[in-house]
Amino acid sequence: MKNTIIRLLTATVLTGGVLGCNDRLNVQPVTQIDASNALNTSNDVQAALVGCYNGLQSVYLYGGYIQFMSDLLADNGDEAFVGTFSQPQEAQRKTLLVNDATIANTWLDAYSTINRANNVLANTSKLSTAALKSSVEGEALFIRSLLYFDLVRLYARNWADGTPSANPGVPLVLTPTTTISSANNVARNTVAEVYAQVISDLTKAEAELPVTNGFFATRYSAAALLARIYLQQGNYAAAAAAANRVIASNRYQLNTSYGDNFLSNSDLLANSPEDVFAIQVSSQSGTNQLNTFYSQYSRNDVDIQPQFINAFETGDDRKNVYEYDATYGLYYTNKYDVLYGNIKLIRLDELYLIRAEANFRAGTSVGASPLADINLIRDRALLPPLTTLTLAAIQKERRLELAFEGFRLADLKRYQQSTIDPTTGASIPWNSPRLIFPIPLREINANPNLVQNAGY
Amino acid sequence: MQNVIFTQARVAMCAVTVLLAAPAWAQSQQTVSGRVSDTDGNPIPGVTVVERGTTNGTTTGANGNFSLAVQPGATLVFSSVGYTTRTVEVGSTRNFDVRLAQSTTDLAEAVVVGYGTQTKQEVTGAVDQLTTKDIGDQPVQSFEQSIQGKAAGVFIENSSGKLAQGMRIRVRGVSSISGGTQPLYVVDGVPILNDNLSSTTGATNSTADINPNDIESLTVLKDAAATAIYGSRATNGVVLITTKKGKAGGTRFTLGVQGGYSEPTHRREFLNNQEYVTLFTEALMNNADPRINSPAAIASRLRNYAGGATDPLTYNTNWQDQVFRKGAFQQYDLSAAGGSEKTHFYFSGQYSDQRGILVGNRYLRMSGRFNVDHQATDRLKFGVNLAATRSRNYRVADDDAFSTPMQIVALAPITPLIDPRTGLVSGSLDNNTGLPNTTFPFYYNPLLSVQGGSYITDVYRLLGNAYAELQLFKGLSFRSELGADVISQQENEYENSLTYRNTGPTNNFGYSASVLNTKVVVNNFFTYKATLADVHTIEATLGTSYEGSNQAGNSVTGTQFPSDAYRTISSAGAITAGSSYRSPYALVSYFLRGSYAFAGKYLLGVSGRIDGSSRFGVNRRYGVFPAASAGWLISEEDFLKNNQALSLLKIRASIGKTGNQNFSNFPSRNLFGGASYVGVPGQAPVQLGNDYLGWESTVQYDAGLEFGFLNNRITGEVDVYRKNTTGLLLNQPVPGTSGFSNLAANVGSLRNQGIEFTLTTRNFVGDFTWTTSANAAINRNLIQNLAGPDILGSYLNRAQAGQPLGEFIGPEYAGVDPANGNALYYLNTTNTDGSLNRGTTTDINLAAYVPIGNPNPTWTGGITNTFTYKGFDLNVTLVGVFGNQIYDGGAQYYSTGFNNGPDNQTRDQLNRWQKPGDITNVPKVIYGGGNGIGASSRFVQNGDYGRLRSVVLGYNLPSEFVKRGFLQSARIFVQGYNLLTFTKYTGWDPEVSTDYLTGGGVSQTQGNINQGVTFYTAPQARTYTVGINIGF
Repeated sequence: MKNTIIRLLTATVLTGGVLGCNDRLNVQPVTQIDASNALNTSNDVQAALVGCYNGLQSVYLYGGYIQFMSDLLADNGDEAFVGTFSQPQEAQRKTLLVNDATIANTWLDAYSTINRANNVLANTSKLSTAALKSSVEGEALFIRSLLYFDLVRLYARNWADGTPSANPGVPLVLTPTTTISSANNVARNTVAEVYAQVISDLTKAEAELPVTNGFFATRYSAAALLARIYLQQGNYAAAAAAANRVIASNRYQLNTSYGDNFLSNSDLLANSPEDVFAIQVSSQSGTNQLNTFYSQYSRNDVDIQPQFINAFETGDDRKNVYEYDATYGLYYTNKYDVLYGNIKLIRLDELYLIRAEANFRAGTSVGASPLADINLIRDRALLPPLTTLTLAAIQKERRLELAFEGFRLADLKRYQQSTIDPTTGASIPWNSPRLIFPIPLREINANPNLVQNAGY
Repeated sequence: MQNVIFTQARVAMCAVTVLLAAPAWAQSQQTVSGRVSDTDGNPIPGVTVVERGTTNGTTTGANGNFSLAVQPGATLVFSSVGYTTRTVEVGSTRNFDVRLAQSTTDLAEAVVVGYGTQTKQEVTGAVDQLTTKDIGDQPVQSFEQSIQGKAAGVFIENSSGKLAQGMRIRVRGVSSISGGTQPLYVVDGVPILNDNLSSTTGATNSTADINPNDIESLTVLKDAAATAIYGSRATNGVVLITTKKGKAGGTRFTLGVQGGYSEPTHRREFLNNQEYVTLFTEALMNNADPRINSPAAIASRLRNYAGGATDPLTYNTNWQDQVFRKGAFQQYDLSAAGGSEKTHFYFSGQYSDQRGILVGNRYLRMSGRFNVDHQATDRLKFGVNLAATRSRNYRVADDDAFSTPMQIVALAPITPLIDPRTGLVSGSLDNNTGLPNTTFPFYYNPLLSVQGGSYITDVYRLLGNAYAELQLFKGLSFRSELGADVISQQENEYENSLTYRNTGPTNNFGYSASVLNTKVVVNNFFTYKATLADVHTIEATLGTSYEGSNQAGNSVTGTQFPSDAYRTISSAGAITAGSSYRSPYALVSYFLRGSYAFAGKYLLGVSGRIDGSSRFGVNRRYGVFPAASAGWLISEEDFLKNNQALSLLKIRASIGKTGNQNFSNFPSRNLFGGASYVGVPGQAPVQLGNDYLGWESTVQYDAGLEFGFLNNRITGEVDVYRKNTTGLLLNQPVPGTSGFSNLAANVGSLRNQGIEFTLTTRNFVGDFTWTTSANAAINRNLIQNLAGPDILGSYLNRAQAGQPLGEFIGPEYAGVDPANGNALYYLNTTNTDGSLNRGTTTDINLAAYVPIGNPNPTWTGGITNTFTYKGFDLNVTLVGVFGNQIYDGGAQYYSTGFNNGPDNQTRDQLNRWQKPGDITNVPKVIYGGGNGIGASSRFVQNGDYGRLRSVVLGYNLPSEFVKRGFLQSARIFVQGYNLLTFTKYTGWDPEVSTDYLTGGGVSQTQGNINQGVTFYTAPQARTYTVGINIGF
């Protein structure tokens, strides 16, 4: 019996060894970290800011889909998407579906990046110096504004389409999310509110940002974006002034050749003196989705059409970034042939075009005359100068200079031009609901306070 | 008076006895001998052989042999636990070859339950036990495939005909939306790792590492009474696997050799070259764009597709035939089992090589098992169960990849297989320029990936445990188990220059990943068994368990290889990605089970477990999971005990609570993760947490009836159950404007309820036996409440309150407008008066989303018929899945009359609308016109099917013949697997679940919701094999 008791005790002790392992449940995550350890120091907040740029890289944002889908939606025969993905096909037909996964991802990634920026903005007090605080805050505001401006252009009616103060825009979320409650079921702010917010934020950002900042946002990135926004609003004086602030800084120069913006001898494409703001891509960071779709060395999904090629005047150097394949009788663009090429979001040539158009429409000559600016662009394209200027001439230069870079949809609506249904040949007016992204089905489903766009 | 009658009767009986016995005195006793084996010809040792009506008897030896002196005219009774008893008249035969069928209803049969065994009689839970006969020797990769349709309420679905890919196993429906839904697998007491470790979006099946031929029994625990002892992991059911053990006696070797071939169950019909040109031209003409519809444009397009040939009908390529092939199967098994009184052993080895029906797909497995048990003293027993497996899977790309073989059907039949301009497979590099050919054919040709790429997954797995069991005093024993499961997996992908168009202009592509997934399990428990005063049987188990696991992995991606000759990343010029991760997890548990039986007929059981898991919020770490059950063995009551017609009648009922904690490791945490930007370090929030996040709990009610009639010639079970799952750990969609897309919270509830039937009838016994085992199960799944928005899946799958999980909810297709050929959809909106607006629209965005199909089968079942006659046996299994619908995700591309592009079309598109007045379901074909391509009920089909799953015909060579070759047994067999499929489904195969929407590439929530979707998914294989099993 004694023997048995000893054995029993031994066994119990063995079992007890297990009973003592409650603290073994305190397993900590190691691949990702607990949020309480994430935003405590100045370095932490700077790292969170870099995370915002990482967000912008998303293929659903400036990695390519924003530019690609909006160009296809606006296209009236300049390009033909010949790939198998249905979302670009639907965009080209102007028959977007509410459950379009690409459009849902653009929305999700944009707001995810906005939340990253909001986390930075809520923690700027932790930054170690005043200069750093000013710069980081300015960058976060720039990034948030860039996204809100594109969201409101894609998912809502154009500024001049009806009443901006009544038209639903997109929800403005300006504080970081730490928990979810019914307060997160935000409604859409009006188009005017969204514009007002981004103009206010960018004005602040322009004041706070440094004049140089590596490949990150600078004071002139903010000014350039302001110029774009004012142009979209038809506020020509402000647009010309903002564009002029960038040009007059003399920190940027047009490249000698137009093609220098796009071509490279390696699979990397660095920023050039012409770049005001570009999304950085490397073999290890980011994906150039425009390369994926456009490049003949990748999916080769887009044929550039004669309608576009024929728009070039003889001798236009810009035509040389379009390559003719004699075997199939097709043109491709070489703009995105660099596999890990940076994606040029804001270039100096755009600022000249904004200043020219704004001055022309306002009848002013802020910085330079519209004719001088246009001739500068033409000169770089090896074209003779114009002697007189029309709005149509400015629009043409803008179309040829910025083609397939995500400008077409906003310009079409700004010019109030119609486009074409490629299947039926029917005309589609600039303010058609078909040219506005649907609020994604997943979002309507998750948030009862969101109102769907007309036509969906 | 009574006494007198009695006495007289006794005298009379004596007289009769004497008369009957008289001839015996005239003859001497004779010796009969023989061999007892199971229906597969394996000898059964320890069988009791008794001369009926006497105490004269013996038992069979290790090789199943017996010898007994009997009276002439005697009848022999052969009985053994786990087998049906057989009686054989001696007659003039002196040598017997007796086959015993395995019994499914013997009350003394041991049933494996959690942390122990019980007899069938004692079990008060819903349990299905299958044996080696149901599992081994099939041309499959993992054991689950071989038990399809054999256990009621256990639904098993192969995702595709790709080898060793992820499977869906559901016990009594799906009880979780965001958590795992597979049962817990326990092998020899060790809950095993069952994570999908695939780096691709499609899952692989880690249970394929277990050699099915090593399995002695497989028990499926279904109700809470049976599963609650596994607590927080029990809701999805528990599968207990016991591997084979040796028995005392001579060493017995078994050699199995099997080989055969396989082919797809079904090919789909696509347009041939003439049909393609006709329909495609019509579609081009219907497009208004002159760049597309002009005769010159059409001719030029067709010439391009046809590899430059002026006549578009020059080639007629059946692309489907280029990726299907005749697969091959070969498998070799060798085992040795035996032992002495004190030491038993079972060693086995297997080599199997399967070439899939898709080009480039192959699965190889080598496994060894080593099971030893040793009785050291009267009180101490210890042993080891250990298996080592090495598998290699030559995988093909996931269903959504251009490079996956099945996507070859998109290519035009007018495109040549070999491009006449280069003499190479169409799409190969242009020899002249060395540049990738990105325009011809119009899509990437998957054959290039077969030629130029490979994706090899190598797995090494060590699974085993060591145990010691000490008898403390009579009835009380203590068992300690230390188990480990170690999986080391390497994946190596290499794509050479031929695959440029798919992998990008990076001068080849290499990916290499390794994962070490480890788990340690410590179980300590006491078991007490006692029978008091002959009628009170008590059994109790009490113990603790600790499980710690860690998954750690790393990967590297390289590009820029010097040439196609270099295949590893050491020669890559650029390292484009690299990563490592580590994810630990711990579970601490206390468990108990008690059962009480009075007089072997009134049964009570309680069981439960307390689990603490590191996965949950600090405030909800522990969960308690109790269960109680009761049973009444009515047939043991005096009033039924001698009833000849009713041999078994038992009712039982149980109630209990179980949990599910099969989630990612840190769902309760607020997490930040790395988010760098071209070399600059960065971070970003990745997950919102919840300190109160805890278990999903399920309360399950079960009532069962077990019956046997006519000496158990007819036996069966009926179970009804309801599983109420509450506090779902739900990844709820949240407004994306928050910066997040979902948040885990314990909200919502769902229910599964159903009925299960099992019926076994022994239609013929004797020389010719015929046994029928049938089972059927009905399960109804219903989401009761989501406490928030619907959760959208892929295509039209959705989780929505009031519907079963994964219900297809979307626009309802209304056919074709006869006036203009436009696809129409029902508006299904609500009119102002509250009625349903059944008007139609051509704008799919205006059609309301309504339920249009259920991917969950309403009932499933199987029938197995077994015939034996002399040495022959025939086993036929039919399975059926009914009432579910399938969404064809690829139809948008290949069944929309070129409205989505130039992809070759299914032949049903020839019924398109052509002119006003045409009545058809196929809209007008317009190249790129988008007419009818939106996701709708147009692409939903019934998925009911019945399938002749397996037919096995075997012949056991007569023992005299076998022994001449110094063998113990020899059996040859032929087998057909998936021979016939009965279905109206028009796709490739109705047993389908596309890998890219259900594997590791999507969240678990999405994987659970995205049921019943096919997307260029490969059909199952039909396999024919021939094999031989030799015992010596």
